[in-house]
Amino acid sequence: MKRKKRSFQLNEKQLGYAMVLPSLILVFVVVLWPVAQSFWNSLFDYRLNDPNRSELMLSANIDLERYVDNHFYINSQLEDLASSVEGEAAATITDIKEKINGYHQELVEDEETKQKVEKVDELIMNYQPVTDSDLKYQKIDNGFADEYRDALMSYQDKLTGLASSVSDETVSENINQSADLLGATGETILKSNFIGLKNYGKYLQDTRMWKSLWNTTFFTVVTVALELVLGVCIALLINRAFKGRGLIRASVLIPWAIPTAVAAMMWGFLYDGQSGIVAHYLASLNLIPGESWLLSTSNGGMFSIILADVWKTTPYMALLILAGLQTIPSSLYEASGVDGANKWQQFWKITLPLLKSSILVALLFRTLDAFRVFDLIYVLTGGGPANATESISVYAYKTLFAQQNFGEGSVLSVIVFLCVALISFIYVKLIGSDLFAGRTK
Amino acid sequence: MNKRGKIGFYIFLIIFVFLVMFPFIWVFLTSIKPVNEIFSSFKWFTSNPSLSSYEAALTNRPLLRYMLNSFVVSILTTLLALVFASFTAYAVTRLPIKGKGLILGIVLAASMFPQIAIISPMFNLVTGLGLRNSYLGLIIPYITISLPLAIWILSTFFQKIPYELEESAKLDGASPFQTFRKIIFPLATPGIFTTGILVFIAAWNEYLFALTINSEDSWRTVPVGISMYQSEFSVPWGDISAATVIVTIPIVILVLIFQRRIVSGLTSGSVKE
Repeated sequence: MKRKKRSFQLNEKQLGYAMVLPSLILVFVVVLWPVAQSFWNSLFDYRLNDPNRSELMLSANIDLERYVDNHFYINSQLEDLASSVEGEAAATITDIKEKINGYHQELVEDEETKQKVEKVDELIMNYQPVTDSDLKYQKIDNGFADEYRDALMSYQDKLTGLASSVSDETVSENINQSADLLGATGETILKSNFIGLKNYGKYLQDTRMWKSLWNTTFFTVVTVALELVLGVCIALLINRAFKGRGLIRASVLIPWAIPTAVAAMMWGFLYDGQSGIVAHYLASLNLIPGESWLLSTSNGGMFSIILADVWKTTPYMALLILAGLQTIPSSLYEASGVDGANKWQQFWKITLPLLKSSILVALLFRTLDAFRVFDLIYVLTGGGPANATESISVYAYKTLFAQQNFGEGSVLSVIVFLCVALISFIYVKLIGSDLFAGRTK
Repeated sequence: MNKRGKIGFYIFLIIFVFLVMFPFIWVFLTSIKPVNEIFSSFKWFTSNPSLSSYEAALTNRPLLRYMLNSFVVSILTTLLALVFASFTAYAVTRLPIKGKGLILGIVLAASMFPQIAIISPMFNLVTGLGLRNSYLGLIIPYITISLPLAIWILSTFFQKIPYELEESAKLDGASPFQTFRKIIFPLATPGIFTTGILVFIAAWNEYLFALTINSEDSWRTVPVGISMYQSEFSVPWGDISAATVIVTIPIVILVLIFQRRIVSGLTSGSVKE
């Protein structure tokens, strides 16, 4: 009997690990690995829209697709050129041709490179694109890469010089064409784009980065503080039995449940300088300088996104705090009432201390959400006017996808990550083990 | 409560509900105005309501297609997250495994990671797999949001199920997985359902991944599609308000039906009991 029980225990344990494993693998693949990859990307000069820097290269590489294609023409073009000119010029061209052939031989001495060159050649002959990036790029020795590239570039200059000294126009044009071909071949030899922490250095001195970080911090502190105060007030007021609770609950949930992008579009309409009703009312009450103030000035833009965010998330905050309030036993208030405490004292001595942990958890999630703000700003103001409302996530997004600069954009996203990590660390220290209470045993 | 206090309280409630609902009311009233009235007056009620904005909203852009996309992606994301999360939450709350704190810590940390730090490698991954402009291309990145959320909420619900039932199932000779499937899972169904609603809403509302990964118009989701109604030169407020009303109605229905569940799900993670 005892033995049987032990094996049962073991099975339970195994089952437990087996049940946890798939989720952990997923979390690693879709969360932890991408974040690590972002760190890694940020160390490179990595741009999707520049063929010379569209891959991460720790060492020099050669873009075989373009190289093989260009190299194919070099021999025949230079031979034609050599026969069309005379004397010294012909000798120079033949010399260049032979030297390039020498370099090419050195390149394909490496068995792996040779095989790849042949495969790529075959594909190009059949007019097929090289889609496999393993085949397309081949690692080569850094020293050789520099030498070959520099040599090709110097030959380009030599040929250009030669072209200007030749009197026949057609020949001169032909020489120039070959010079361009050599230059283009040189471009296919790619230097390593690993640049270490240089990107970080750039952004630490970037005023736009500091401005966006400040915007994000300001937005976070103001919205979270407003939402907390308003949330506590609303929760205290509706923490009682009354008719129509369901209606209140539903009306409170709807702003929370609609997509932020939809809310941003709605507020964009309400704020509009010409037909926006909120802009119109605020201006006619003289609360704002003019109808266009909301979306076309820096302060107005910041005010607009804060108001929209407070509208969307205060109800959520109020709900969380209300749930916390309902766990406080009413006997505490009765007892303190007997002892002569007034409402104000009860609030500070009973309600607030007992609400502390629910408030902190709500604050943690709200602060992180506010710090990561993207949709609201991107849709409502686009970061404008003049970057006055640009949050760091919006800046990172623009660098990543509008400029296609994955290296520098990753620096910005790593900065967001580090800030979020710092904020969570502080909150988790404050909340302590309460965060896990009731989940593990 | 005395009578005057009660009246004051209800007045406060009415003002509160009005302020919260005001954007919806105004957008709805705008959506039934003829287009020229939107730009010329701030009158609340139009004297000749028309549905022309609705027609324009549905024909100028494939709004119904956006809704279909959002629905398919959100439903599949929700189902996937629930399967994996219920396994994990069960193991963490009921089975004798080591490192529970660590596992929940990783899950919580994963839910705090900013999406902007995940987006560029995820974009490369999805592009590499050839999944841009497809449903799967969004479902994969949506796991980053849905799975931690689902595990976190479900583990609170599983914790509340009494242990005695499990013990007696064990005594009757049920294997641990049978216990999970036949005892815990049915008992946890309300909790799983609640979690499902919250995950569904989170997936429905996601913007950043949808914006970058599905850039073709016929694969866009509702939040991205709506934000594309404005062009650089003109802002068709009539279309936008009609489209807003159309996409908000399903959410309003969802909230009205499931409001109790949503509240219990939202607050389960934050309140100690």
